[in-house]
Amino acid sequence: MKNICVIGVGYVGLVTGACLADLGNRVVCLNRNKSKSDNLKQGILPIYEPGLEEIVRRNYEAKRLDFTTSYDEALQGVEYVFIAVGTPSGSEGEADLSHVTQAAEQVAERLAKPVIIVNKSTVPIGTGDWVADIINEHKHNDVPFSVVSNPEFLREGSAVYDFMNPDRIVLGSTQRQAAEKVSELYEPLQAAVIITDLRTAEMIKYASNAFLATKISFINEMANICEALGADVKEVARGMGSDRRIGPEFLGAGVGWGGSCFPKDVKALAHIAATHGSHPQMLRAVMDINYDQRKRVIQKLREILTNFRGKTIGILGLSFKPNTDDMRDAPSIEIIHMLQHEGAQVKAYDPVAMDNAKRILKDLTYCDSPYKVAADSDALVLVTEWNEFKQLDMARILKSMRQPVLIDGRNIYDPERLRALGFTYRAMGRGHDANGQPL
Amino acid sequence: MGNICVIGVGYVGLVTGACLADLGNYVACLDVNEAKIDTLRNGGLPIYEPGLDEIVQRNAVAGRLHFTTLYDEALKGCEFVFVAVGTPSGVEGEADLRYVQQAIQDVARRLVQPLVIVNKSTVPIGTGDWVAEIVKEHQAGRVAFAVVSNPEFLREGSAVRDFMQPDRIVLGSTDRAAARQVADLYAPLQAPVIITDLRTAEMIKYASNAFLATKISFINEMANICEALGADVHEVARGMGTDTRIGPHFLSAGLGWGGSCFPKDVKALAHIAAMHGCHPQLLRAVMDINYDQRKRAIIKLRECLGSLRGRTVGILGLSFKPNTDDMRDAPSIAIIHFLQHEGAQVRAYDPVAMPNARRMLQDVVYCKDPYEAADGADAIILVTEWNEFKHLDMKRLAASMRQPLLLDGRNIYDPVRMRTIGFTYLGMGRGYDENGKARAKPAGRGL
Repeated sequence: MKNICVIGVGYVGLVTGACLADLGNRVVCLNRNKSKSDNLKQGILPIYEPGLEEIVRRNYEAKRLDFTTSYDEALQGVEYVFIAVGTPSGSEGEADLSHVTQAAEQVAERLAKPVIIVNKSTVPIGTGDWVADIINEHKHNDVPFSVVSNPEFLREGSAVYDFMNPDRIVLGSTQRQAAEKVSELYEPLQAAVIITDLRTAEMIKYASNAFLATKISFINEMANICEALGADVKEVARGMGSDRRIGPEFLGAGVGWGGSCFPKDVKALAHIAATHGSHPQMLRAVMDINYDQRKRVIQKLREILTNFRGKTIGILGLSFKPNTDDMRDAPSIEIIHMLQHEGAQVKAYDPVAMDNAKRILKDLTYCDSPYKVAADSDALVLVTEWNEFKQLDMARILKSMRQPVLIDGRNIYDPERLRALGFTYRAMGRGHDANGQPL
Repeated sequence: MGNICVIGVGYVGLVTGACLADLGNYVACLDVNEAKIDTLRNGGLPIYEPGLDEIVQRNAVAGRLHFTTLYDEALKGCEFVFVAVGTPSGVEGEADLRYVQQAIQDVARRLVQPLVIVNKSTVPIGTGDWVAEIVKEHQAGRVAFAVVSNPEFLREGSAVRDFMQPDRIVLGSTDRAAARQVADLYAPLQAPVIITDLRTAEMIKYASNAFLATKISFINEMANICEALGADVHEVARGMGTDTRIGPHFLSAGLGWGGSCFPKDVKALAHIAAMHGCHPQLLRAVMDINYDQRKRAIIKLRECLGSLRGRTVGILGLSFKPNTDDMRDAPSIAIIHFLQHEGAQVRAYDPVAMPNARRMLQDVVYCKDPYEAADGADAIILVTEWNEFKHLDMKRLAASMRQPLLLDGRNIYDPVRMRTIGFTYLGMGRGYDENGKARAKPAGRGL
């Protein structure tokens, strides 16, 4: 059992804190918002993450997990401080480190016994050295400390599973001993541990996310080529994915990635690179392709409906991916804005993200089922591939629509079946003939 | 057992023919180049490929594999024709299909019994349909035939193993029964079979190669960022590669890809895409990054040596990758040209590619071993990561050089060890020194 403080109760902080408590440690989670802390004590989570609520409740009741707004209380007797605060994107894609700075200063002010500061937030390469500088500046004594970078690889929707079953633990530090002490915390997980220097650990996180984003943009570029040539990108992905040097993951063509990680991390890495004299042309192409995919939905609709004025468009799925309520940089936001800009009425349904969506997207009708979205619509756009959309009664949907137009932004339906039902069906990178004409 | 004709005795044709014979089929390999066929009949191989020699000999002796220049002889009683002729790049990257066209016409004229035409060559999307049209135009009767696209995924250097232990067999056809007949030929390999339409099968080949090229260019872009920021791309790749969604393959930063496949296929796919109104910006970035990597070798040397005029540079490795004598679009060619252009003398050694290199690279001193290549040099550049370079006597190498400057273009050496030995060591994307501090710019002119 170790004494741990986790600063920040967002996705990363809360999952990290709760899971470390679940492994038998005593964890205090700190954040400055009192109502958030009070809610957490009652088992009310500020985010939706499958399985997390149960772990929070169980460990809070077992007194291994606590919540506070006070640094004095949180740092009492701790050996490890995990920093998991937000690092929002600035206008140029640079990561905003004000929360990290503040956390490091607060820890330094209260440094009374040796502590290991573990950075979980995704921070620009070089931040670890910079955190050490801040602590050296603000501490009042000669108590030793060390800084370890320990990037998280959690996916929203399966974050608890990812924490408990990691592919690898990456630890970067100038002090190998400190990195080894952090690796002891993860020992029960029996995962591969990679110990390296600070900057390289920080870079691993950015490079991994950037690569996965690249893989998706790659298949989207292929999807557009497939459309022009009459090939089927879904089969192409199957053929590619069975090559074990490629692998089947992140090869789903569609309206592209969004969320709180890929957009921010790819942009930040491109920014860091450019401000250090590198020319990140691949990262830039990856971003361009991604944001153009959202526009292709509008293009496909326009080809069928000619214009949007006075038309009603139904949106299935709002969150940036299934199994999350996260709306950050979700493709649905931009698609809905573009539709509204061109004069369309928009109706939408999402199993869990509608509350968050309401704060971002105005002037649309939120419905409580996919069937209500479809009723009297001129077209449906499937934006997020929630499982519940995969087995809808499509005949019923078709009958209730004003025009049976369906844009399948995630290629989840069988083109032949939907066309047989009577839909004017368009997918992403499939269902075109040799001349690029939709079948 | 099937009766098979394979047209073309390049890498793909010869490996396909020999391996199909080894699986028990009767195979005739046909090529219009008499010299190549003579070489094969006399037990020689026109290419270097580990393990192929033995398979060719064994099956020729067993009477299952024979070589000919005559279509009539090769097509006699044959049920499958594999087309494996070259498809060189045109100026704009478009694949040149004249050999495919010629072969198909010659087959069509002799069509007397039902035949499955299997395309192994990497051809633009839509070629399968075009082949069927050529056959229809040139066939005398109305004998049934089918066209199947069966892209190869062989790597030079491990082509035999890749044939015998494939990740998957891709078969594309408008005629599903024909695709199944071809699948039967591969049944002994017990690999997953993906049967799809013609165009999609053709696209799978391009997309797979383009993705692997993308992965390498990606890590090279990361390498350049690592250099600027003081991180080590070798470790970054290790950290990334342990993510099961990424995997460790094709994540070696270095001087980039070359050879007969990636350059041709990426360029051709970008060309086809642009010709159909697409804007293949990722593919273009992938190519740009790749060809810029070769120039970085020169930039790095210039940073250390100042002007390259009158300097002697030793090159270790010439082939585009280890275990092949293939020099097509090898990074060594561009690098040696740049060095010579800037006035440097070049010495070079490669275990097997020197005969091919001599035809392309003039004014190079070809050496009998790595030590001779390093002798009196101001710098050596490791261009191809042959195994035999991994355990050289580096002290002896350093001692024989005029200046111990080592540019490790494939990151095969341990930077700390090399610096201890006395080398000024430069890797690709390894921007930190032995203390984990960001590497200062190397010492200026003249060292």
